[in-house]
Amino acid sequence: MNKDAFYLKMDELLEAAAGTVQGSSALANLEDWNSLAVIGFIAMVDTEYGVSLPAKAILSCRTVDDLAALVAEAPRA
Amino acid sequence: MTNPLQMESKTVLVTGASSGIGQSAAILLSQLGARVILTARNQERLRETLGAMEGEGHRLAPFDLGRVEEIPLWLRQLVQETGPLDGLVCSAGISSLRPLRMVDTAHAEEVMRINYHAAVALASTFCRKEVRRPESSVVLVASVAGLLGVAARSAYSGSKGALIAFARSAAVELAPAGVRINCVAPGYVKTEMHDSAMRELSPEKMEALVRATQPLGLGKPLDVAHAIAFLLSGASRWITGSVLAVDGGYTAQ
Repeated sequence: MNKDAFYLKMDELLEAAAGTVQGSSALANLEDWNSLAVIGFIAMVDTEYGVSLPAKAILSCRTVDDLAALVAEAPRA
Repeated sequence: MTNPLQMESKTVLVTGASSGIGQSAAILLSQLGARVILTARNQERLRETLGAMEGEGHRLAPFDLGRVEEIPLWLRQLVQETGPLDGLVCSAGISSLRPLRMVDTAHAEEVMRINYHAAVALASTFCRKEVRRPESSVVLVASVAGLLGVAARSAYSGSKGALIAFARSAAVELAPAGVRINCVAPGYVKTEMHDSAMRELSPEKMEALVRATQPLGLGKPLDVAHAIAFLLSGASRWITGSVLAVDGGYTAQ
């Protein structure tokens, strides 16, 4: 997985300027990371990476890199 | 004693019959005496539905309703083999849970294609004289999301609201011909589609959501199937163009 591309997709998801989201960014500190963004994240990784993630696993992530790892390790559809 | 819901000697086509509400409706209709034609993409899963049904003469008719343009010819050919239909249940559908900002045209069209255009093509073909019996009934499975607003459901709501509006005008047009058309609008029901959509919510959030929205809690597919059977049966002969909310009180609040 290309992490830089993943971070840019997170920027797009959160309507943040390109380069805002970093791997070490804490999700709790990201503006607009809320329940609607979680739903959007699920739709985004389904479309872009072909993976289906349960909300529970996403909600257990602390950082953007935790999310990246979740996507990288998920079985592809 | 007379059973006003009895469906003996009636033939009903049920789409989405491989799971959830469609599957439950197919089984219930067989128990009420109907001969049921089962449609969905997956033949193996249709066989599972068939295995749970009662009575004889049922038939599998696997078809991908996403091929909307092919529906008229497919249905007319099917009916040449089965004989005319007394009822049609459009239960095939897809869920969509995504923020509006992520609803692009391709996604909106996919949702409309399965949830709306396929039902329109089925109903439009069903109402032809050679396809249905003089007194017949169509039931479209809409959703409470077609009646009220739900976040991250805009594409889905649009497709279900379209079904409800379609049913009203079609009901007025088809009443003189003896064809009734109604919608059921289920709330949150425990189905695979629901489970798959709700994987996107945590179990705690799901429980809180159901409690807050539906005073009677989470529904079962059979709760909706009962309403479908009623709208197909002679017990509802004076009802057309209606939307029956089967939602545990969701829309009562």
